[in-house]
Amino acid sequence: MTQRRFEILFWQFAILVVILAVWQWGYDACKATLPKSLVPGILDPYFISKPTAIWSSFLKLACFADKAGTSACLSANDNNLWIATLVTLKNTWWGFLWGTLAGIAAGLILGRSEFLAKIFEPYVVALNSIPRIALVPLIILMFGLGDLSKIVTAAIVVFFVLFFNTFEGTRSVDRDQIAAARLLGASEMTVLRTVVVPSALAWVFASLTPAVSFALIGVIVGEFIGAERGLGKLIIEAEARANAAEMMVSIFVMMIVGIGLAYIVRRLQSHLLRWQPQFDQQQ
Amino acid sequence: MTSTVASSPASSAKALEPRTRIAVAGLSKTYGAASRQVTAVDNVSFEVRQGEFVALLGPSGCGKSTILNMVAGLLPKSAGSIRIDADDVEQGLVNRKVGYVFQRDTVFPWRTVEANIGYGLEIAGLPRQQRRDKVESAIETAGLTGFGRSFPRMLSGGMRQRVALMRTLIMEPEILLMDEPFGALDTHTKLEMHKTLLDIWERERQTVLFVTHDLGEALTLSSRIILLSARPGRLKDDFAVGFARPRDAVSLRETPEFARLYTHIWHSLGEEFRRTKAK
Repeated sequence: MTQRRFEILFWQFAILVVILAVWQWGYDACKATLPKSLVPGILDPYFISKPTAIWSSFLKLACFADKAGTSACLSANDNNLWIATLVTLKNTWWGFLWGTLAGIAAGLILGRSEFLAKIFEPYVVALNSIPRIALVPLIILMFGLGDLSKIVTAAIVVFFVLFFNTFEGTRSVDRDQIAAARLLGASEMTVLRTVVVPSALAWVFASLTPAVSFALIGVIVGEFIGAERGLGKLIIEAEARANAAEMMVSIFVMMIVGIGLAYIVRRLQSHLLRWQPQFDQQQ
Repeated sequence: MTSTVASSPASSAKALEPRTRIAVAGLSKTYGAASRQVTAVDNVSFEVRQGEFVALLGPSGCGKSTILNMVAGLLPKSAGSIRIDADDVEQGLVNRKVGYVFQRDTVFPWRTVEANIGYGLEIAGLPRQQRRDKVESAIETAGLTGFGRSFPRMLSGGMRQRVALMRTLIMEPEILLMDEPFGALDTHTKLEMHKTLLDIWERERQTVLFVTHDLGEALTLSSRIILLSARPGRLKDDFAVGFARPRDAVSLRETPEFARLYTHIWHSLGEEFRRTKAK
């Protein structure tokens, strides 16, 4: 078992080393040895930069390599890497939170009422058919270039994910469990709180991990189209200067942010769903 | 139709009889539209008196669970009347005097054993400390000591059904409706459950209406068996089960009286099983 684990770790590490090496030296090595027509253009550092260049860009953007000192650099630039990351993270969080709450509420209401579900069905289908990203320019027009438009974008993206999952979860609640609760004296509201919600929670949580990624995508796209700050804005600025290294820095930070958010959601999930067999042991 | 109660003579004796708790009269249940109507229960009438343990026995699909669900108010009736004490049973209206145990596993998987058993008390707003005391003694009664903090998925089917049973009994219902509660359990576990239920019932003497298709189970537990015919469910017979109490779920089965009554009812029941098969 531990032998196997070690082997897996070894190969994972080996692949990483190979990727970094090819990235760093691949293009130069190809250019030196192959005829010009065979040199793979995709490896051109103009497009993908190099690990060392990305690292020094990171130090620069994060104000670790400024002659004036880190704090002076931080205050001089109001979209430095730290602020950009915090802004993107903050907007992702609020968009995720509002979208989740609204999605769960709407899913519970329509899931519990056959009547309302029937009324709203065509509207839900119609709205859901709009690619959410197509709404972003409109949202920016309505809510401005600031943080609010990013939060709204993320919330709309998250809303539908949570809505559909909560709706399905609410509908698949065991009828006998509801009957059992009622026979033990539960009112309609108590049934909702103590049976429907916990039972639908498994569905809700299954959608939270993708939802948090979608929230991040929503915010980044919003920042692409029009923003003052944020990681997406950093990428657009770097693109204007054809600076691949700086774009890569933002992309890596986003990756780390994404991993962090998914980890937090997963931890929450395994705690709240500890009654379910698949969450028996901490992964 | 009634073979035992019919002999009770004068009206003076009737005054001494325990009062009627459940009164079912002319009860019918039909499904489907008028042209393709299926009758599940056909004109059934019976009464259950205070402190009686009545088994509703019949072959599968004879409508015995349907009757119970109508008595519980879980299912609308098509015709007839159901009264619990002086009150008409309305579908969707919960009677606090009535407890119900399902055949299917209905424990809440997201609640621990403690929280499952204490559910009814919790939503009734009983203070935590009182609740804990009651739950603790219920856990002990059910033989679940040490499993209070476990989630249902860690328990066997029999243990989960004990949780469901205690969840209902902790509310101290005067009338207990049970829908083949041990139907899904293996023989050994079933016997263990019979012991537990007999212990509790012989102490508390709730009024019980217990649906089963298992004649042995009906004889072990009940003080009276109401036999239903194959579909559509009609009342076929009514037997008193007079074995002395307290009963032992295992040794009772070895007595000649048990064997005699078993054979007697078996003939009656066997006809219905054959009728079910013939269909």
